[in-house]
Amino acid sequence: MSIILDQVTKHYGGVPVVNDVSLDIGDGEFFVLLGPSGSGKSTLLRAIAGLSGVDHGRIALHGRDVTHLTARKRGVGLVFQNYALFRHMTVADNIEFALRVRHVRGKLRRQRRKELLRLVALEGMDERLPAQLSGGQQQRVAVARALAHKPEVLLLDEPFGALDAKIRDELRRTIREVQRELGITTVLVTHDQEEAFAMADRIGIMNLGRLLEVGAPHDLYSRPATRFVATFLGAANLILARRTADGIQVCGTTIAAADRTPAANEHEVVAVVRPEEVELAPARAALTTNYLAGGVVEEVVFTGALERLRVRLDAAAHTPLLAHDGSDDNASELLQVTRTQHEQRGFAVTPGQNVAVGVRRVHVLPTPLSSFTACAASAQLAEALGREPLLVELAARMKTRITTRSEPKMGVAEALCESADFVGTTVIASQTDCAHRSEWLLRRGARDLLVLPAGATAPQRVLIHWMGEAARNATLAMSASVLRHVPAEAVYVGIFPGQAGGRGPHGMRELLDARSEAQAAHGLEMRTEMRFGEVAEELARRLAEAPGQMLIVGVTELTRFAERFRALLDGGHWPVLIVYRGAP
Amino acid sequence: MSFRQASVLPGFGLTFGFTTFFLSTMVLLPLAAMVLAAGSMHWSDFVHVVFSARALDSYRLSFGASFLAASINLVFGFIIAWTLVRYEFPGRKLIDALIDMPFALPTAVSGIALTTVFAQSGWIGRYLEPLGIKVAYTWLGVTLALTLISMPFAVRALQPALLEVQRDLEDAAETLGAGRFYVFRRIILPTVLPALLTGFSLSFARAVGEYGSVIFIAGNLPMKTEITPLLIVIHLEQFDYQGAAALGLVMLVMSFTVLFAINLLQAWGRRRHLQAASS
Amino acid sequence: MSAAASRVLVADAARPGQHTWLHSIVRWLFITVSLTFLAAVLLAPLATVFAMAFAHGVEAYLKAFADPDTLAAIRLTLITAAVVVPVNTVFGLAAAWAIAKFEFRGKSVLVTLIDLPLAISPVISGMLFVLLFGLHGWFGVWLQEHDISIIFALPGIMLATMFVTFPYVARELIPLMQQLGNDEEEAAITLGAGGWLTFFRVTLPKVRWGLVYGMVLCNARAMGEFGAVSVVSGHIRGLTNTMPLHIEILYNEYNFVGAFAVASLLTLLAVLTLGVKTLVERTGYRGH
Repeated sequence: MSIILDQVTKHYGGVPVVNDVSLDIGDGEFFVLLGPSGSGKSTLLRAIAGLSGVDHGRIALHGRDVTHLTARKRGVGLVFQNYALFRHMTVADNIEFALRVRHVRGKLRRQRRKELLRLVALEGMDERLPAQLSGGQQQRVAVARALAHKPEVLLLDEPFGALDAKIRDELRRTIREVQRELGITTVLVTHDQEEAFAMADRIGIMNLGRLLEVGAPHDLYSRPATRFVATFLGAANLILARRTADGIQVCGTTIAAADRTPAANEHEVVAVVRPEEVELAPARAALTTNYLAGGVVEEVVFTGALERLRVRLDAAAHTPLLAHDGSDDNASELLQVTRTQHEQRGFAVTPGQNVAVGVRRVHVLPTPLSSFTACAASAQLAEALGREPLLVELAARMKTRITTRSEPKMGVAEALCESADFVGTTVIASQTDCAHRSEWLLRRGARDLLVLPAGATAPQRVLIHWMGEAARNATLAMSASVLRHVPAEAVYVGIFPGQAGGRGPHGMRELLDARSEAQAAHGLEMRTEMRFGEVAEELARRLAEAPGQMLIVGVTELTRFAERFRALLDGGHWPVLIVYRGAP
Repeated sequence: MSFRQASVLPGFGLTFGFTTFFLSTMVLLPLAAMVLAAGSMHWSDFVHVVFSARALDSYRLSFGASFLAASINLVFGFIIAWTLVRYEFPGRKLIDALIDMPFALPTAVSGIALTTVFAQSGWIGRYLEPLGIKVAYTWLGVTLALTLISMPFAVRALQPALLEVQRDLEDAAETLGAGRFYVFRRIILPTVLPALLTGFSLSFARAVGEYGSVIFIAGNLPMKTEITPLLIVIHLEQFDYQGAAALGLVMLVMSFTVLFAINLLQAWGRRRHLQAASS
Repeated sequence: MSAAASRVLVADAARPGQHTWLHSIVRWLFITVSLTFLAAVLLAPLATVFAMAFAHGVEAYLKAFADPDTLAAIRLTLITAAVVVPVNTVFGLAAAWAIAKFEFRGKSVLVTLIDLPLAISPVISGMLFVLLFGLHGWFGVWLQEHDISIIFALPGIMLATMFVTFPYVARELIPLMQQLGNDEEEAAITLGAGGWLTFFRVTLPKVRWGLVYGMVLCNARAMGEFGAVSVVSGHIRGLTNTMPLHIEILYNEYNFVGAFAVASLLTLLAVLTLGVKTLVERTGYRGH
């Protein structure tokens, strides 16, 4: 491995800008770190270069731990967005800088310089000053300069940001060629997904300081695991659907899912429909694909090769569209469609026209967090709960919706609830008899339950614990999903009965197992802590230690639930997400 | 072609006329008076005044002390500017504002205050006295006063230049393997060199002409601690207008040379900047 | 400036190898040297002014201002500034308008002439007017015949002060107006506004902080000018003595409390000037 990042974390003013990133980059690989501005990708690159320290974690280059090494001793080549050429030096002096520093003899220096200038196609420019070169040429010099000392790793920080489209294309090609010729491990940071697709062997997508997903461009595009990646890499329609035994059910039509994983029981899921996977036809019978719904064309934009449309689905379809790409909020009820010239010729549409909408392919996100249902004793209280800032923020970040549900008899023994169908994550307000109400809901079919104190804000730390192995996988999946949307650190709290040392070695193995499973199966990096005592009490004690914490707890057993969880749920100032995987 | 380019904006005649009139009466006319006063002298008289031993000694003190003051400010100005730009410490903003104090403080006030502080019984002078260092009423005092009043010029010339040194450049040099001192010598210093020169010239120009703060601390012994501006005043007080004008002309020629050099340097710096910005 | 500075400072935080002992020593050394230097040449003299002024108590300090000559000096300084600052403001506005808004030949000559007073010794500045209006000057005889006194009188003090301070407003306004460009003025003219309306409603509001800044500097220099005024005033107590000149006389008479009492007023003026400057810079207009 050329570059190994192990749990790299960096805080600025208490906020993690790089949050628990672990990553292996292979020899000669062209790796692209992609993310919106402020996602921490540049900070991570600077950490690899040694220009920014890390608070936690390790960085290794070619098997050498460089975490505490200064930038000058790391032997990396770094190319900056604004070139950062030394303006008072000629091209030759710029390129030879790293060699001069290393006291390389003049003849060898000149030889290496000629070689590099040929490589970046700037032969004969030796004696120019940077000010006499175009932007593209300057960046070529910067690349040559970064390669002069034969670094083991080439790092590129948005190197095309300041260039026009045409020059950018040329330079991309040059850099890719140079990289192939030298076989040098390269990391490129960009916010441009097209650039990432064009250059990368593998892409790592970052958001809020976390490395969300890593994979080959095509895999990430066709099978994203998270909402963020689905919408950041290209446009996507997110649709709330139901997974049934037969496939994916959207508006009463069942579509075979692209990824066939047997569904244990029916539940709500988030489906991704790419705009190019949508088919439009004059009538349902003319569709060659699965019928989704009828709709009205609202907007048609011609963009050359493609036509972009927005289609409003019939109200009767009740299709819960969540979002496209987050670009504008009020369009989220509109389905985004792109069509090729060929499709346009087959069926021309104009705004206002009624069409039948079909989909070719649906991808289901493996996230367990689909939507929120604010649940309270009356519709009014439920509405108010739905306006809780933390809930609104979570829903906005997850691009999902909040529905309400009133349960007048909540907590009344023997009473039935209004409907046995619990959609998404049920949310209740934290109050005095919360443990009792939670048990009441869980016993009547709720599976994911968020207990939310009034005025809670986004947590800085999420504590994770499960009671019973059956809930482990679901708890980890839920935690991973939550942590993708809040910039918080994850801490697994292992709690063992009795005094310290009693079950030491065994407990330690449990902690390590939990950590490696979280990382392998869910891409979730978490720290671990070991505590001793009664579970609920210890968790409540840990939560009370600092503000800004949240708990995600997996439960398999409801016996004496209210009694056991009283300390944790009744009137706590922290949000608790209960993941129940057991018999209702 | 007319001597100005067409513009839709009005008011050129009025403002240009007023500016030219004001500058002519306030600057050109008096300057002409001086040149003529000096020019109407007999050549031998002119040489006698300008190259008298007393005058030569005063040049030596004025220009020597000014050169020394500008050099001191080059070093300390750089250290202060660097400290203000690169380091965070309590009171940084206050210090930054205080730098301009010698600019705003009337020179007479600086003069009497410095003299008091560095006199034998003064707050600092009493500690220097046992070491055999006399500041007040010596050339050292003159240098000190000139250093104080010209310090803001050096710091203010350097500050924006140091701010403009992109951290990216230093980062780039560091990833290429350069150590801190190498980066300083090869990257930072060449980049701020024009600003250093400008700061030096501005300090020097200001120090050469200084009068108010110096006459208090200098002691004004002829041939020893007498600066050229004081010599001019002495000539004027004796109603020797021509002698004063001759000395003034000598100083003015030197000041002009410095001003010209500053303008050249600034034009050079601007051209470099424009070149870099346009690419 | 401070926004950019703090960005640089943040970037400096915690990089590997930056917390070496060498780095800390350099940092410590730079800050210490800077503070010591400033304390010795700046703060000590400033503190001395007040220490000396109050050396014999508050009463002696206040008594220093009861001296009619001191009061006359203060009055003269205020009158001079009250005349000089407005005149120089008008000149600064006119010069900036002509130079920043129009392209014409010989512009650089005008700019150089405006810079000139800053580059020449204040003593020479004063001398220029002595050579013109003094007893043996060009107009000396004519002035004497008509019984008009300029040198050793108020007009001479004002002229000399005006000469050394006229660049301040113009030098603040010219770069500012050049930087802001002509677009808004041209828009106003095409919308039918006249020249004066454009100036008062469009240009003046845009440059107001630069104008304030220039006027404050001009005022500080006008009240504190020593060399030029010293040459033309004649040092007549109670008549042609400005505050700085009065300080010299009191100081040479070993009336230290009196000298430093007047000096303390000018020091307060300087502090006030710096305060206004800092406030103006905080509005986003950059002085330097």
